[in-house]
Amino acid sequence: MKIGPISISPRTIRNLRKEFRSSGLARIGVVLVVLVLLAAVFAPLIAPHNPRTQTLDQAQLPPLGFTDTEQQTRSEMVNGSIETVTENVTVNATTTYPLGTNSLGQDMLSRAIYGARTSLLVGFFGTVLAALLGVTVGLTAGYYRGRVDDLLMRTADVSLAFPSLVLAIALIGLFSRFQADVAYRITDPLVSTGFAGWFRELVGLPTPMPETVVLPTVVILVVGFVNWVWFARIARGEALSIREEEYVKAARALGGSDARIVFRHVLPNAITPILVLATIQVAAIILLESALSFLGFSGTTLSWGFDIAQGRDYLSSSWWIATVPGLAIVLSVIGINLVGDWLRDALDPGIEGEGGL
Amino acid sequence: MGYGRFLLKRGVQGVGVVWGVVTVVFVLRFITPGSPIDTVAPLDASQETRQRIAEELGLDQPLYVQYLDYLAELLQGNMGYSYISSIPASVQVFQKLPATLELAVAASLVAVALSIPLGVISATRRHEPADYAATSFSLLGISTPNFWLGIMLVLVFAVELNVFPTSGRAYGFGQTLAAITGPEPFFTVATAWLASLFLPAITLGTYFTALITRLVRSGMLDELSQGYVRATRAKGLPETLVRYKHVLRNTLVPVVTVLGLQLGTLIGGAVITEAVFAWPGLGTEIIRAINARDWPILQGSLIVIGCGFVLLNIAVDALYAYLDPRVVAE
Repeated sequence: MKIGPISISPRTIRNLRKEFRSSGLARIGVVLVVLVLLAAVFAPLIAPHNPRTQTLDQAQLPPLGFTDTEQQTRSEMVNGSIETVTENVTVNATTTYPLGTNSLGQDMLSRAIYGARTSLLVGFFGTVLAALLGVTVGLTAGYYRGRVDDLLMRTADVSLAFPSLVLAIALIGLFSRFQADVAYRITDPLVSTGFAGWFRELVGLPTPMPETVVLPTVVILVVGFVNWVWFARIARGEALSIREEEYVKAARALGGSDARIVFRHVLPNAITPILVLATIQVAAIILLESALSFLGFSGTTLSWGFDIAQGRDYLSSSWWIATVPGLAIVLSVIGINLVGDWLRDALDPGIEGEGGL
Repeated sequence: MGYGRFLLKRGVQGVGVVWGVVTVVFVLRFITPGSPIDTVAPLDASQETRQRIAEELGLDQPLYVQYLDYLAELLQGNMGYSYISSIPASVQVFQKLPATLELAVAASLVAVALSIPLGVISATRRHEPADYAATSFSLLGISTPNFWLGIMLVLVFAVELNVFPTSGRAYGFGQTLAAITGPEPFFTVATAWLASLFLPAITLGTYFTALITRLVRSGMLDELSQGYVRATRAKGLPETLVRYKHVLRNTLVPVVTVLGLQLGTLIGGAVITEAVFAWPGLGTEIIRAINARDWPILQGSLIVIGCGFVLLNIAVDALYAYLDPRVVAE
């Protein structure tokens, strides 16, 4: 299989298949990732409710299988005087809101489904940006060595010396200089074409869904900027060894330009570890995004981290508000990490432990 | 190259990194929207007042003068004064640092104490139930956002079972030591100290426990397949000695290097753990400083963390070079 200058050998595909067949974990990972991906893409079709609609009379309903007791106070005439009576009322779960509702009566299931969009958008585009930056820097450093290498890798060290979360928050402040709105809204094609409406009518869920998808551009820029270092380290290591290979020397002897050699010969041969790292980085960036939205810096309220922050205030009365979005994060990140493990075991690029949260 | 020259080179590079950190925090303040004057001046301040504040903060000077002034002040140990409380930033930062260090050290101790045995068991009993248990735990650990883990721990152990406090820091390590001779009953102080530290330390430590378990497991599996292991076994060395003296030791060297680079992750994790547990440390201070645009505090914190990162990594490199002299030769 060939993608641009990068070719995937039949042996690689065979290894991937073999590992997939022998490893149950790889299969679980792929299933989880596919499920989250489907939820994110088809959110307006499958979410039972509009994730933003508030139904205050249905607030804090427990998930199916659980009941909740709530204290209610009312005034009552007792022996001719008005007294306040407190009594415990049992709140039952309803199938209308299978995972319960939050303090605003929003459906937790629909919010979990829509949250997948934010996480995957940030995870994917953030990783692409980090990879573009990091691989460019790393290949340049490793290919030219010497002073260029020193300069670039010391820059990488400086970047590592900042706690990633703090650097991300500081950069959000910085990037909002260039874009007043921290997030960008794009129309949801499934809704704007009327397909979602038609489909929901068909299955009997005629709720109007949000017409826009929030693209947290600033967060994407920031996580890309924070996580480029891990790509730079891997790409540099690969470039350092590949540049000594005979075929690179041959290409140089034939008068190939540096850009051409790096792009046609070095990059394609360094692609395996970069791909494996990218997979792990999607997981790391989803975790970083959730932390940023938990602290209130992400620019969207349709995010798992934001929902956890909301649920934290209701921990003693409604435990599910913080629990449901957290489980959504854990399941998606486990899925991505399992896929990463599968790729790593099948392709064996030897990059254990690079690229943290 | 000798060992001394190797360390000297690392030291010079470290100074370069610290200078880079200082420069980045300076530039960050300069290019981030919102002037410090707005933070310091009252809302209804007159133009003259604003002018005076600008002069006091040196903001009327050309940028390079401000930068050189900043460097000169830093070299004398002056990180500026908090825009909010006017307390010297160095005082405020070093006041908050112990609580964070305590949390980070406790989390690291938890991580090291659990992960190394888990990784070793996992690697030496591959495909046995113990291996599956350790592998599942470590997968879960690296996939769980630590702030959510913290909230779930609070839900179970503080809200439902009521065995640990939900938040806050009862006593510090120093206060606990002082209680040995002081008037307060030592046992009560020590229990309260450990009880308030327990959940935050688990919250911060879990990710690292999981990460190190994975590193140790795969590192040991690699090492166990090496020729020298068969040789030492053939020589008749007891299996325990083979595992712990040779294999584990060789495994830990690269593990320590990876962990040195993860200090930023540890401190980043501490920031959010502190936010969950209202832990009065540097992380809480950093978030407060960011929200209040209290630049001297934010800059001071980042510089202190950066220095810590550099020192730790020099120590790791020195250890690495000591254990494996080939590194120096390169």
